[in-house]
Amino acid sequence: MADRDIAIIGCAETKIVLRSGRHVYDLAGEAFSKALEHAGIEKSEVDGLAVSMPFSDAGNPFYSPILADYLSLELDWCQTTDLGGASITGSIARAAAAIKAGMCETVVVVAADAQSTENKGNIGAFRTEFQYPVGVMGPPGYFGLLSHRYEHQYGLDFNALAKLAVTQRNHALENDTACDKLQKLITEEDYFASPMISDPIRMLDCVMVCDGASAFVVTSTKRARELGAKHVVHPIGYGERVNVACADQTPDITLVGHQAAGAKALKQAGMSVSDIHMLQPYDDFLIAIVLQLEHIGFCEIGQGCDFVLDTDIAYNGDLPINTGGGQISAGQAGLAGGAHNLAEALRQLYGEGAGRQTSDKSNAMVTGIGWIPYARNWGTSAVLILDAN
Amino acid sequence: MSDPLAGLRPEPIPTKITEEFWEAARNEEFLLQYCVETGQAQFFPRPVSAFTGGRDLEWRKSEGKGEIYSYTITRRGPPPFRDAGPYLIATVELEEGVRVLSNVIDCEFDDIKIGMKVEMAWVEAGAYKFPVFRPAS
Repeated sequence: MADRDIAIIGCAETKIVLRSGRHVYDLAGEAFSKALEHAGIEKSEVDGLAVSMPFSDAGNPFYSPILADYLSLELDWCQTTDLGGASITGSIARAAAAIKAGMCETVVVVAADAQSTENKGNIGAFRTEFQYPVGVMGPPGYFGLLSHRYEHQYGLDFNALAKLAVTQRNHALENDTACDKLQKLITEEDYFASPMISDPIRMLDCVMVCDGASAFVVTSTKRARELGAKHVVHPIGYGERVNVACADQTPDITLVGHQAAGAKALKQAGMSVSDIHMLQPYDDFLIAIVLQLEHIGFCEIGQGCDFVLDTDIAYNGDLPINTGGGQISAGQAGLAGGAHNLAEALRQLYGEGAGRQTSDKSNAMVTGIGWIPYARNWGTSAVLILDAN
Repeated sequence: MSDPLAGLRPEPIPTKITEEFWEAARNEEFLLQYCVETGQAQFFPRPVSAFTGGRDLEWRKSEGKGEIYSYTITRRGPPPFRDAGPYLIATVELEEGVRVLSNVIDCEFDDIKIGMKVEMAWVEAGAYKFPVFRPAS
């Protein structure tokens, strides 16, 4: 990918809505149709489809070909990516690999979920035996455990989390696709006053599960030129780490897979973190941003809160972070949530950032986080680097 | 001993991998899976050694002693614990070198600390016994 032979030539994101009542295929269809229009291509160009596994159709073992049927797509390649919140970044990388392998030429990458309307997830495995009887409050429970351990090892400056909460909310107020229920100004005092869910995780540390969809058109740069594509952004580096330190039965849970994923993505892109001009990190919880900043190398391990407090992270600042509001302030469209961070990066790089347009739109880093293993941090870490030149 | 989640805990659903674990739990015995080749313990139980990928595994009884690795206070639990009131959850590091996620009982919220010594206790979960922890005596 580093030689810019792959191009993302269009993207679209639906409005993020709490309990929309819509079906996941309908949401996917809206994003698909708008993405084709944005890319300026005909449906007949599409010969590949990569989709994120959603909670709302989780029982369907034929998800990608059936969704393709609903979209009336005859394909040379299709696949479902089941890396949870890291599915979208994973799907972009898999689409690029499939194109480079000659399996197909133009892929629509779709992430859609209506989790707040319908949840057919049945994860089972160790959870039915060793987690559900304990009453862990889902992801906030796990992030409570992670936060206390981080605080014990490094100290946790909640002022940094408050700054992230307020900055992302300010960004969401400029983003039309953000969930209406979250379109209210908040202050750092509001962050500290928000109720504890699973100590020290407060309500304003968390995402709100919603419904929504995004779609992206990925093709070879050669084909993009032939098509006269108006928007061209190249994925130039990708790293993925599944199940970091999983054989270690007593790992340091503050060590996350983004260290390996970030190093791989940066090396592939031939860049260092100081070359990154915009960060759209996966944000199911605010502390996840702090940990990613540390492990990708924007600052030293344990210094993430200081980095947040010392850096202007607003859209017009030194290192803009989650300029669309992130999932925490725009809403998390279930397992399609990570696509919000990617869609926002592309909008910025295409120069479509509206009232929150960053001054530098040359490159962006997007990350993914997926699934939660037993008594650890998170299972999948992904880092994707996009370049507009 | 008081279990804040008494009567609410869903019964664990054993798999073929964990049948022996849950049968031993009925007698308040916590079995750890050991990789015979490396002599290391692993938890939760798996079909292979986490260390070698091999299948030479054996069960050995744990002493159930350890310390708090991290903890959280669940303010309002998920179903079926919605009305249970706040309760403690911790990751406990056992002396045998594994971590177990469970509840801490008989402990004030203000008293729990990372590094605090705990010991295993057993509570009801449907027809099974479930391992939790309390401050070491």
